[in-house]
Amino acid sequence: MKYVIPVIFIAVLVYALIKRVNIFSAYSRGAGEAIKFTFTLLPTLICIFIMCQLFERSGLASALTDALSPAMSALGIPKELTKLILIKPFSGSGSLAYLTEILESHGADSYISRCACVLYGSSETVFYISAVYFAACRQKKRLLPIIIILISTAISTIFACLLCRFL
Amino acid sequence: MNAVFTLITLSSAILLLFEPEQFLPALTDGAQNAVRTAAMLFLIYAVWMGLSAVAEDSGLTRSLSRRIRKPLKRLFRTGDDQAAENIAMNISCNLLGIGGAATPYAVRAIARLEGEDNAFGQNLLFILNATSLQLVPATVIALRASLGSSAAHDITLPSLIVTALSTGIAVALFLAADALSRRKKK
Repeated sequence: MKYVIPVIFIAVLVYALIKRVNIFSAYSRGAGEAIKFTFTLLPTLICIFIMCQLFERSGLASALTDALSPAMSALGIPKELTKLILIKPFSGSGSLAYLTEILESHGADSYISRCACVLYGSSETVFYISAVYFAACRQKKRLLPIIIILISTAISTIFACLLCRFL
Repeated sequence: MNAVFTLITLSSAILLLFEPEQFLPALTDGAQNAVRTAAMLFLIYAVWMGLSAVAEDSGLTRSLSRRIRKPLKRLFRTGDDQAAENIAMNISCNLLGIGGAATPYAVRAIARLEGEDNAFGQNLLFILNATSLQLVPATVIALRASLGSSAAHDITLPSLIVTALSTGIAVALFLAADALSRRKKK
């Protein structure tokens, strides 16, 4: 897997060389577009990260975690994973930090850790993606796809915890 | 997004009244994290968007996506060649596990679909991306290996099964909801 990125990089450059493209000016133009692109994302990022900080610092996150744990265990989800499941839809870096914490405290090969890894690897930051993707759209009502994704994530979360007991 | 943001921010803010000295630091730390993340994203986007501009100028993007353009156009109900091209690149990058390269393609595809008022295609692309399309969870495997796992790769298969399941359920639900709303209109 570690060869994927270098191979892609070299293949694209070699192909461009054969086609006699000005690689330097094309690359710098693309990198320049990234400046504009990142700036359009910044307002969204600020809102989401402020929300996450408030959520965490106010104690609401841990209160919600405690409140939801019994329901989660009833569905076969270990209570250590509640917080990860709650944070993942909002923040990739936040949930990665929390995943690291779980792996460190429970050991990388424990059931809890493997479960956490599968959950992290098979889901995405739904709210973040929706904000980024639809930032430039006129029609703002995008509730239905988000609800659909949350339902499918919930079902697959329960399934993942079951699957990790056997695989 | 507005409802979620308002609900969480407001209720957290009210709870924080018990520790008023924490209030402003929480806000500025949030903004700081955002800027730090944006800087990191910018590095990734600059690297990949540079390369994708090279691929585009050399005609590589066009010839790579030629074969799957037609089925994609039918699937996403679009008549726009460039939208289909961007969707093809977005899906390929996702499958290869280079999410940083995938996002700019998705945003471009969404903008093209916006031009023809194709909310169906936009939502479908969003659902595919938001349920994760990764074949190999490279980040997680690297993290496990660095923390002393004896078999860092053994989560690949369960991750793949769960990813396929969640994407399958979401797409099925979305198509069902779409069929239902069309029937209502008739």
